[in-house]
Amino acid sequence: MAKFAKLSFKKDELNKELAAFSKRMLENSAVDAVLVPMAQTKKGVRLTLVTSADHTAQVDPFAPIAAVSGAKIASSLTSRPSGRKVAMVLRPCEIRAVVELAKLKQVNLDDVLLIGMDCLGRYENTDFAKFQEQGGTSESFLENAQAGKTSMSDFDIIGSCKICEFPTADNVDMRLCAIGAGNGAVFIEAITEKGEQALEKSGLKAGAAPAGRDEAVKKLVAVRTEARDKKFAEFRADTSSFEALADKLAACVNCYNCRVACPVCYCKECVFITDTFRHTGEQFMMWADQNGRLKMPNDTLFFHLTRLTHMSLFCVGCGQCTSACPNGIDLMPLFRTCADKTQARFNYQAGRSVDEEQPMAGFKSDELVEVTGQVK
Amino acid sequence: MAEKKPTGTVLVAGAGISGIKAAIELAESGYKVILTDDSPQMGGILAKLDYQFPTDHCGMCRMLPLVGREYASQYCMRKSLFHENIEILPFTKITSVSGDAGNYKVDLLKMARSIDPAICNEMGECLDVCPVEVPDEFNQGLTKRKAIYQAVPHNTPKLLLIDKQACTRCGECLKVCTTNAINLDAEDEVETREVHSIILASGVKLYNTQEFEDAKSYAVSPDVVTSLAFERMLSGSGTYQGDVIRRPSDGRPAKNIAWIQCMGSRNRRQKRDYCSSICCMFALKEAVLAKEKGGPEVDTTIFYMDMRTFGKGFQQYRDKAVDEHGVKLIRCRVQGVMLKPDGSLQMRYLDPETNEFFVKDYDLVVLSTGQIPFETHKKWADLMNAPLDSRGLLDTEQSSKVRVAGKPGLFLCGSLMGLTDVSEAMTSGIAAAGEATKFLTALGVDTMQEEEIAEPAAHRRELPLVSVALCKCGEKTGTEGLDYELLSAELKRYPGVGAIHVIDSICKPDGETALVDILGETKCNRLLIGACQPFMYRRKLKNSARQAGFNSSMVEIFDLFGIARRGMVEPSTGDWTLRAAREVKSDIEKLKFKPELQVSTLPINQTALVIGGGIGGMQAALSLADRGVPVHLVEKEAHLGGYLGTQVEHTVDGLAPIAMATDMKLRVFESKNITVHLNCEVEKTVGTLGCFESKLHCKDSDENTYLHHGVVIMATGAHEGATTEYGYGASETVLTQAELKKGLASGDIDASEVENVVMIQCVGSRQKEGRRYCSRICCMGAIGNALTIKEKNPDARVFILYRDMMTYGFYEQYYTKARSAGIIFMNYSLDDKPQVEMVEGKPVVKFMDPVLKEEMELPADLLVLSTGVDPEESNQRLAEAFGVSLTEDGFLAEADSKWRPIEFQKVGLYLAGTAHSPMPLKSVLLQAEAAAQKAYTYLSGREVHTAAVTSMVKDALCIRCQRCVNICPYGARSYDEVDRCIKVDAAACQACGMCAVECQNNAAEVRGWSDKQLMAVIDAKLMDVLLSSTVG
Repeated sequence: MAKFAKLSFKKDELNKELAAFSKRMLENSAVDAVLVPMAQTKKGVRLTLVTSADHTAQVDPFAPIAAVSGAKIASSLTSRPSGRKVAMVLRPCEIRAVVELAKLKQVNLDDVLLIGMDCLGRYENTDFAKFQEQGGTSESFLENAQAGKTSMSDFDIIGSCKICEFPTADNVDMRLCAIGAGNGAVFIEAITEKGEQALEKSGLKAGAAPAGRDEAVKKLVAVRTEARDKKFAEFRADTSSFEALADKLAACVNCYNCRVACPVCYCKECVFITDTFRHTGEQFMMWADQNGRLKMPNDTLFFHLTRLTHMSLFCVGCGQCTSACPNGIDLMPLFRTCADKTQARFNYQAGRSVDEEQPMAGFKSDELVEVTGQVK
Repeated sequence: MAEKKPTGTVLVAGAGISGIKAAIELAESGYKVILTDDSPQMGGILAKLDYQFPTDHCGMCRMLPLVGREYASQYCMRKSLFHENIEILPFTKITSVSGDAGNYKVDLLKMARSIDPAICNEMGECLDVCPVEVPDEFNQGLTKRKAIYQAVPHNTPKLLLIDKQACTRCGECLKVCTTNAINLDAEDEVETREVHSIILASGVKLYNTQEFEDAKSYAVSPDVVTSLAFERMLSGSGTYQGDVIRRPSDGRPAKNIAWIQCMGSRNRRQKRDYCSSICCMFALKEAVLAKEKGGPEVDTTIFYMDMRTFGKGFQQYRDKAVDEHGVKLIRCRVQGVMLKPDGSLQMRYLDPETNEFFVKDYDLVVLSTGQIPFETHKKWADLMNAPLDSRGLLDTEQSSKVRVAGKPGLFLCGSLMGLTDVSEAMTSGIAAAGEATKFLTALGVDTMQEEEIAEPAAHRRELPLVSVALCKCGEKTGTEGLDYELLSAELKRYPGVGAIHVIDSICKPDGETALVDILGETKCNRLLIGACQPFMYRRKLKNSARQAGFNSSMVEIFDLFGIARRGMVEPSTGDWTLRAAREVKSDIEKLKFKPELQVSTLPINQTALVIGGGIGGMQAALSLADRGVPVHLVEKEAHLGGYLGTQVEHTVDGLAPIAMATDMKLRVFESKNITVHLNCEVEKTVGTLGCFESKLHCKDSDENTYLHHGVVIMATGAHEGATTEYGYGASETVLTQAELKKGLASGDIDASEVENVVMIQCVGSRQKEGRRYCSRICCMGAIGNALTIKEKNPDARVFILYRDMMTYGFYEQYYTKARSAGIIFMNYSLDDKPQVEMVEGKPVVKFMDPVLKEEMELPADLLVLSTGVDPEESNQRLAEAFGVSLTEDGFLAEADSKWRPIEFQKVGLYLAGTAHSPMPLKSVLLQAEAAAQKAYTYLSGREVHTAAVTSMVKDALCIRCQRCVNICPYGARSYDEVDRCIKVDAAACQACGMCAVECQNNAAEVRGWSDKQLMAVIDAKLMDVLLSSTVG
């Protein structure tokens, strides 16, 4: 049974309370380190690895920004583990990517206390700077977003957040609950035994659950699901042919930034930058001969389709691909619409559970019979 | 200089699967094998079976060598087999044998095929014109074939022949044959060969419903078929091409199908007092397949006497057939089949559940026909001058199923031991090969000296340049639509092509010479040959290539004519030339990017580790030690002998385990080659075939030692199961079979003092909770004890309450003997188990009389429980230490329950005895011999050759996700925790490419099959414009 501890805060003091919470976790050796979004010296908020209790003052977990996916950071920290216990405060999409990476042995959860924060969306990195300039804070964002208002003067939260049906995190030890927590309070929820022990060490007292939370989460999920379905329908209609898809990707310059940003595109080196794709001049000429012409750089569609085959089963819909594109291609809907179908085909949902086997990770003789055509 | 010793040669008579297995094992050990078969084909019965349980797929190719793959064919074994050391002689009879052990002279009658396979171009026009039709043996007479025919429809090469009896010499075939391959006057030839040892693997005659009187009342219509005929009805190459099963009489789909078991078997009156062992599983499988083919509405019923599901996984398959597929099982001996005027088949049977008679109509009745062994055994006994035993079977030594008594150097395997399933055929084939190897080693003959045609290293350090040789196939098919001029012109323009040669017939001597000339003179560094049937002469061409200084991987052959013969012309235009151009181009691409491949050698530490000092372990250790192999024998207890060798005085089939173990212990301790480690357990083993390292923990000294060895045999045994059922533990009068056996032997239990003895079988076995499996030995154990009691006290009443008597094969005779001795057998079912009440300290057994359907009460002086066989708990630790897996029941899991029964998935690890599954002592000894032979195959040399094509890791790209480790079906990939990287065991890797498919960024790759090659191949295939039309 989950335990909730209420963390009340006075106006503009949310982060102060959360910093105190982090400090106590470190002081009381609940963990040896905390990975948490933190305000940087001048501008911006970035995930920061804190090992000293004296350095928690700047924490800002609810800041509506995720410059780099936390799942990639989690992989860096644990794939060759340190042996020290670390609490990771991550967004639900980052947690879901962590779950996929754990299955791919790129994250080791042995010494990790996973803390998932409620997520009402994030701004693009450039927009977040404007948000701060316009006086936006995490507190104001939580309050406004819960009232359904995320848009600012000339920007809004990113498209993937608008259609994200996972505002709360699963597969975690603890949650930072903001949705339905009421004004002037957030809740810290301990879910696993590990989480409860940590909660105890943090010195917070367990009490009543936030009364309106379940209802508020449900409502939010309903709104986002509706938006998702609408987006899917639009995008599918928009990309019903290879030509239409090629048009969507027309601005692509083969920089492969989308794959660098993608938390589940886990290869050290993408096959597209290996020898396999280093063609000879003779080869280019032959391709050109086929139609009398060849768009350069070539392999653009091939790259994106390959990424779809490789990643759509693990796609968590975080939108980092869209954020990373220097030419403004909105890749997220491409991946999400495709993932929607591929994951459904295997009755799989990326990030749902650590114990679920990833599709296509083993050979099953009776799988996909309609494709393989195997008959007895 | 020492005189060169002769090369050890073994004749294997019979090319069914056990003979093939024996031949392959011997060939792998370096001996020369002559493999003959009376029939014109290979594969025996299994060539006719598309499906084998438990997978319900074929899997014959799994018996091909895994290491040293370069020396054997690596394709479907139902098509054909090739191995450098095996001379295959189908359609060859053994007519006389003279000489003796180590020096046999054998007369081989090579029957005339009348068609020379070396000349025949396999176009098959002779088949079309032959006017003679006779029943096709391959389809059990269900279909017709011509007098000129192909014995097995899926054979490659086709190996056509003429049935001389049927042929009318009309000469039509001669008229259409353009290659003059047919000779109607061809005569049989006799050839005398000298061999050192002989393995008989002929199988036995099968019961024929036409021939035997007792089949008359059953075989009343063409719709009553034998189980083998039914198999042909299911087969994709059979009567209905794999379609729904229909009635032979009128072609109507068969909706109600019945099987009648024990047809011809278990019949004392006909002097066939044996069970045929395999028919129960055969029928269950056929019933499941009939359901799968015809849909769940097909009704399948098996009428049986005892459902003998004694082997590993058999009971589970039965449960699945009944529970999941709805196959009905009725225990009733049906007395006959009545043909009704409407063609349906009526049967009357007694339902044992309700004790009522039923009459039911069926569309199709399958007779589960078994073996007729005596004729075959008599024939061999006469020919070999070998003794027959009292039953009329070839007399084998008491402790060996494969050594013929009094005839050193003569062995048998497969169904000559009594019909065997695939797994036992494999085991006995390997064991027979092992015995022959031991014999040849003692005889002092040599293994084959490998003919070294060294693989040339890098040809020339220059860019790829391909020479293309196209065959015209003697102008015959070559001119039909294939424009060689256009094709040559097209290919000449293709990047990377250096020369085009058109050769008249590459397969003919002239063609071969032409190719060798090209290889010798060409300025190119790669050769692509477009001809037909590539694998037929691939080997020959590759050898020519090597001689000409080419690395053989630089020569590729592709099937140019297959494109047309399979109708694979260009879809849009129907143009063969265009299609051929695509195909050649894609093959050029593959060859262009292909690296030069080399076979590599792995060093072998010629030492074995045998775990388990029971009879099985000792037998395996001794078998290897006899051949000069050093062995570490590890036993976790303080003494050797295991369960059987310390607990059981004698078995029903006349073996004396304790005495046997005592003798073996002496030999083990005397052997120079065996080091015994008592009170020790293996904690961890790392390494691969040829170089394992095991950490051994010794309980006495509490110290670890490290052993280095090339292979591992696990023979860790099992033990009698425990129970709390039926009042066990409440009184001394309730005991297990093993306790009774011990008591009777020591005299603690006096048989003359007991009046009533009740035995309950399957205690805790063959049920959903507890042991799901049959423990195989309890029925024989109970009969043995019951007979001992009866011998001492004929007045004692012994009741055996059973579910199915598992006295399979020739064990049936003990069941018969027990009934003759007055032992009373009563059947009970799982949902109506006997009840035991203790009255004044004595058990009273209550159960339902199966005939009278009345409750019976038996007060027993002794209540004896058959508590089955439990796996050792230490199996779990063992599995972890070696990285092997266990079955759901806790026994060690072999690589493949049918085709690789004594090997683990990982090359170099073998298992034997009851650690595999419960089995009688004779089977334990057989497995131990087989495991020793498998190990010896690799230990006999200082090194083994890997295949040239194996998978590899591009470490810089590898992300260590280990998906390739999990997916590798051969256990060839592992994650090295010390080096933190993926390693490939080159001996174990079979280059299946699963890892390459699984790996997303190309870090796992099969040599010679890189993504770059494959993408270039695809590109070439997608090009739809001839270069000549765009450029030029």
